[in-house]
Parts: sequence; structure tokens; C-alpha cells
Amino acid sequence: MEPRPLPNINSDNREFWSACREHRLQFQKCEACGHVRAPGSHLCHLCHARAAQWITSSGKGKVYSFVVYRVAFHPAFAAELPYVVAAVELEEGPHLLTNIVGCRPEDVTCEMAVEVAWKDVSNEVTLPLFRPA
Amino acid sequence: MSLKDKYAIVGIGYTPQGRLPGRTSLGFHLEACANAIADAGLKKDDIDGLICYRAFPGTADEGMVTPYLVAQRLGIAPTYMSQDANCSRSHIQHAIGALEAGFCNTVVISYGHNAASSDSMTRMLMEMHPDDAAFGNFGAAAGYALAARRAMHEFVTGPETWKHIAVGQRKWANLNPAAQMHSRPMSFENYRNSRPLIDPFTLFDACLTTDGGRAVVITSAQRARDLKHHPAYIMGIGQHNPSVEPSRSTFMAGPTGAKKASQAALRMADISLSDIDACEIYDCFTYTVEITLQDYGFFGPGEGKDWFQDGTIEPGGRMPVNTSGGLLSEAYFMGLTPLSEAAMQLMGRCERRQLGPTTGTKSPEIIIASDNGGILQTHTCTVLRR
Repeated sequence: MEPRPLPNINSDNREFWSACREHRLQFQKCEACGHVRAPGSHLCHLCHARAAQWITSSGKGKVYSFVVYRVAFHPAFAAELPYVVAAVELEEGPHLLTNIVGCRPEDVTCEMAVEVAWKDVSNEVTLPLFRPA
Repeated sequence: MSLKDKYAIVGIGYTPQGRLPGRTSLGFHLEACANAIADAGLKKDDIDGLICYRAFPGTADEGMVTPYLVAQRLGIAPTYMSQDANCSRSHIQHAIGALEAGFCNTVVISYGHNAASSDSMTRMLMEMHPDDAAFGNFGAAAGYALAARRAMHEFVTGPETWKHIAVGQRKWANLNPAAQMHSRPMSFENYRNSRPLIDPFTLFDACLTTDGGRAVVITSAQRARDLKHHPAYIMGIGQHNPSVEPSRSTFMAGPTGAKKASQAALRMADISLSDIDACEIYDCFTYTVEITLQDYGFFGPGEGKDWFQDGTIEPGGRMPVNTSGGLLSEAYFMGLTPLSEAAMQLMGRCERRQLGPTTGTKSPEIIIASDNGGILQTHTCTVLRR
């Protein structure tokens, strides 16, 4: 079976993915204006300050929007149909593209409370998925 | 000085379109360009500007189509040339900017792709959001579906609104013998029974893939007067690029870039929305038509459900939309499907689908056309007049 594609890990997001491997969700917080951002980026898009610290998220949030795949666009996901791809708004502010697991697709709604659920997919990569909270 | 009415579309190039295996993307570019140049009554040596729509991945038997290749095989050496690597849909701004600056005098904007019979479009879509692929998210449909779902949460919309768009445009396609979906009528029941895709979209919410090409020639209004056809004057253009990808957007239900882009275009044209006789809207998905018309101001959030009722956008309707069938039912040439149709309608060359007495609609003086790239990340609005 064709393997699941993995994220591109680079100097902007290595901290994020390293923390995921330890089941911690981390975001950059701008040291100048306090804005919390994802994905990792060289500067704050609000104030352009470079300095940022990595903070640990509560892992709690709500579904901002979601779709249900009824067709597999990639063979690695054929066995998962139907599956939910969602944009989740974390308590700290950032939105993440993710999957909603642990419930039926028809039970997912916008604004539904969710929490992070970790999926280890390789030695290097653990994906932050979300389940109903 | 205002750019209003200073430049015009003077020629349109078509190619065979549909599923045409065995032809190269470059060949479609060349055929569309050559036909557009001839349609304008020009010679190839009159063309000194060439702007190609986005670069697509090469295939097993054809490398990437570059503007170098298009120029070389057309036998022209332009003084202005460009191509998008991505989808920021600035082609008409590039054309007018280069003409206004005097870098060239006559521009061809070109699209060509063997998207239906090669894997080039699929490859582009699969590589579109590499960081989302680990979550099983690929291509453009899910992004638009995310936007549409959020819209369903924030205002009244959904398949009961979108069915009027899919069915209405299919009626136009059935007046256009070149449309891929000509002779394939669609009822509300057909729409309801469409194959699943990515909820909330089904297959009939999504645009076609097409083998073929399309090109338009743009020059000054002054030069246009001596050419073959009555030109379609460019009254106004506007662009807005919110740029935020759907996975990060906090304003997924709009306003999209359509709002500011149309305000700028209408301001340049010095008209209001009530002066518009028809719309040619970039319709990668049914919902894209709704949110674009909503952000243009034709109706308020959620009022589309009523606005589209009773055949508003169909032949005979009070606001015709996507009169060729559009990307949903004619052919997919990105923004050149709507833009070329707007020009053809204003030139009065649309035969059975011609706006006016033929289709029981108002004879068009002014048409608004849109182009939209990424996932509602870029929007160009163009106002054209007779």
C-alpha cells in the first residue's frame, strides 16, 4: 500500500513537529505584540517582530469548518473513507488543518468542542488530530 | 488619467474543447493564440505582448509549457512576456499595465492545457497543499468545501441554493454547441442525485476538466477602432488578494477578495451594480458563484437562496450568469472562460445563447466578469462594455 504522505519539516516548523512527537502542541508567541501564530514563521504577520517564544497549547479548541471526503484522492486514504478534514480553532487563537476522529462524520458540526488526539505515523512524525471534547 | 475605456478586447481564440486525447498543452496554447490573432484581424507580427496563464506540471510526454515555447512556436519575439507560477490571476492587470507603460502595443493572454486526458492537472492539485496531505487533504475542492461549510454555518446556503446555479448554467450550456455539457440537460433531481465528492459538495457542484485552449487579444481603444470586430471596452478592473489559505482563514464565509476587487472595478468604471446587464463569474464550484455575487453586492448574506429562485440567472432571467455554461458546464480555461464569454456577448457573436431578444434577456451594454485563484485567495473583477 502506498504510504501516507508526510509533512515537509523545515527550519520554520521543526519545533512544532518535534513537540508533536512528544505529544505537545506548540505555537509561536510574538514577544513584541503577543500574537500566537501557526504555522511557524520567521516573523509575526501582525507586527513583523522576529522574536518569538514557543508556548504549549491546551490542545482544546472548536471546529471552525469541516468537510467529509467521500472519494479518495490518494490511495493511502481509501481505507479511511468517509473521513473528516477540518479547520480547528485552538483556544490560543491559531487554526490548524486536521482530521476529526472518534465520532461519526455526520456528528461533526461547526463550533463543536474538540481536543487534540495524537496519531503516531512514523519515527519522526506524530500528527495532531482532534476528537470531540 | 483614468484607464476607463482606454483598452479593449479585440479578438478571441477558441480551440476544439472537451476530451481530446493525443494533443499537447502547447498545441492548445498555439491554436488558441493563432485563432485569437486572426479573429482580431491582426498578423502575428502585431503581437508584442504575451501573457500565459499559470504553469502546470509537465507530463510523461511533454515538459512544462513556458511562454518561451509559446512565443517560439508562434514565431513572435514579444517586448513584454510573463506567466504565473501560481494562480494570482493578474493577467489583465499585467496586460493593461504593460500597454499603459508603453512596453508593448498588443497583448495576447493565453491558456492551453490537456487537463482531461493527461495527469497534469491532477499533479498540480495534489501538490497544491503539501503540508495538508498528511491529513488526507488534497486539491482545491476541499478548500472551497470548507469555505462553503462555514458559510452554511453563518448564513442560509447549501445545495438548495447551489442547485439553481448548476441547473441554470447547464441551460446556457445547452444553447452552446461547443460546451462540454451541451445536449446533457440537468434537472434539480439530477443535481440532487449527483455522485458524492467532498461534503457539502457533490460532483455537479464542481467544474469540468478540459482539453483545449482559449486566448484573448487586448490593445488600445484607439487601435481597436481599426480592427475587425466592434471591441469590448475594459471599463474597470480591480483586484484583491486576501491570500490567507482556508486552513488558516478566520473569515472563511467572506467577504472574499470579490468585495474590494469589485468596488475598485466599479469605481474605475464609474458605474454602480444596477448598471450591470449580465455576469460571467469564475465558477470553479457552484458556491463560488454565490459568494462572488454576494460579495459584489447583488444580495445580502443568505439572500441568494431567494435571489436565484425562478430562473434569475437562466436564459430569459433578469440577471444572466455564465452564459456559455461556464466552468461548470462549458469548459475550464480558468478566467478566460468567463472573460472571453463577456467579450463575445458584448460583440454580439453568441448565436443561440446571445443575450438580447434571442434569449429573452436585456441586450447587454455592460457585463461584469471575474477570475479567482487559490482557494478564494485572489480575485480579479473586470467590467466590460460594448
